[in-house]
Amino acid sequence: MAPHRAQVVAPLLRRESMGNAYQVLTFDVGRDLGALPGQFLMVRGAEWGDAPLLPRPMSYLSGGATPTILVKVVGEGTTRMARAEPGEPFSLIGPLGVPWRAPTPGRRAVLVAGGVGVAPLLFLARTLSATGQRPIALYGGRTKKDLPLDDDLALITDLHLTTEDGSRGQKGRVTDALGALLAEDVEVFTCGPDRMMAAVAEMCARRDVPCEVSVETPMACGYGVCLGCPLPAAGGGYIYACTEGPCIDARRIDWSRAERAPSAGGAAS
Amino acid sequence: MNRLAVQIGSLELENPVLTASGTFGYGLEYDDFFDVATLGGICTKGLSREPRAGNPPERICETPASMLNAIGLANVGVEAFCRDKLPILRERGVTVIANIFASSTDDFVAIAERLGGEPGVHALELNVSCPNVSHGGIEFGKDPTLAAQVTGAVRRAVKLPLWVKMSPEAGDIVAVAKACEDAGADALTAINTIRGMTIDVDAERQRLANRTGGFSGPALRPIALRIVWDLVGAVKIPVIGIGGISTWRDALEFLLAGARAIQVGTASFADPCAAQKVLAGIAAHCERHGTTVTELIGRARR
Repeated sequence: MAPHRAQVVAPLLRRESMGNAYQVLTFDVGRDLGALPGQFLMVRGAEWGDAPLLPRPMSYLSGGATPTILVKVVGEGTTRMARAEPGEPFSLIGPLGVPWRAPTPGRRAVLVAGGVGVAPLLFLARTLSATGQRPIALYGGRTKKDLPLDDDLALITDLHLTTEDGSRGQKGRVTDALGALLAEDVEVFTCGPDRMMAAVAEMCARRDVPCEVSVETPMACGYGVCLGCPLPAAGGGYIYACTEGPCIDARRIDWSRAERAPSAGGAAS
Repeated sequence: MNRLAVQIGSLELENPVLTASGTFGYGLEYDDFFDVATLGGICTKGLSREPRAGNPPERICETPASMLNAIGLANVGVEAFCRDKLPILRERGVTVIANIFASSTDDFVAIAERLGGEPGVHALELNVSCPNVSHGGIEFGKDPTLAAQVTGAVRRAVKLPLWVKMSPEAGDIVAVAKACEDAGADALTAINTIRGMTIDVDAERQRLANRTGGFSGPALRPIALRIVWDLVGAVKIPVIGIGGISTWRDALEFLLAGARAIQVGTASFADPCAAQKVLAGIAAHCERHGTTVTELIGRARR
């Protein structure tokens, strides 16, 4: 694989609050680096100095010359991002990783998103929409405040919202509505908490429905050097989220060994 | 005249900037960012006799101005390195220091002999100080007798320049350093990471599956510099400084303390071009002051 990845220092163009802990950041890269839905970039403030030290892996919410990311504030790095003002320079390394695989002709795409995991799925939905397809989307969060960009998704998908507290959409989990959909000719693309993706992967495997997941793990580099992002591989050993993912066939992951502590979910901290 | 060239025993490096083992892969991963052949050299990911899968996740964690890693020496193994990586590095004119790891003296010798027969390997760096594996590694590096035994055995087996990477966890690091010097080491690399820990207070358990991990990054720098200073005063062979170097000014601290060359490690994660920028900064500094790197080495000791 010969990716056209690059490191660029680009100013923040815009920061838009999505309410609660979510922000959309737009960067002025000045040229299109060719990011595809599902790929990610490593983001770090160019003036952060020695801390926070490591860049944060972020899925592209959109590509082009002014790429966007969806940031959820979970730690020091994302707090800094959520306070950044237009003009602040950021080091961006990307596009990195394996994008979503091309949807199979004849199968309807079902997008299953949990919280901030909506980012790579909205990017995918926009690409599908541009070719005249209208996917189904199941989008869940803990409360109504954990469904950023739901309006954007509603425009181009058949959207079913769920919240655990019932404050928006159907009360329950995204997986509650998934079972009925798996009877038809569909394929599933999912991104969200590990536990959600493990449940989705298991449901799909039982019904023999293709399932592609976008994983999130801690990473220091993003391009296969630090080896900090292993996923337990089905059949033993490890595969690396940065170079063999983040988008990967769910059957390649040993989900029984994949579960992390809830608070350790991802390097995006 | 090359103002930047430095001599490490019999090996002349174009410049004193190397990349640290474990933070630069096998060199080829940085192709998209800059020409790694312009560096003084690269130290490979630690190579073992057989491929290693490494530790379970989580393997890494950020800590203040630093990080912990417990990768567990995941690597492709010495055969795959010689077959798949080394020919490309050789073709590209990269100065390659092969970092090697084993849990027995016999395996250290076997890996060294395998690499000793390959053109394109310029030096060996013995990792006797990895904190993240259950057997071998750090045990060799804490004990002067064991460190000398491994160093001597590899010394007798190969002609390649031989560097030994020091553990800051040795009770008496100067004694280990002297033992390695006496056993035939051509240079010492100081320092490897030091074991640290962090606990997730919500999950109420250590963040790393290995429980502890090697502490690296800018926060480590003052400790590394102090140890380099001590070693330079204690041994005659060159000392290569490593520990938290992110900028050319950081690198100068080590050179002024007497390090003959330096390695950029964790900084490459924050900025893949960190080593290139360190090199450019040192070059500009020498140009500005009409001096050479060799003249700078140890100047703070006057």
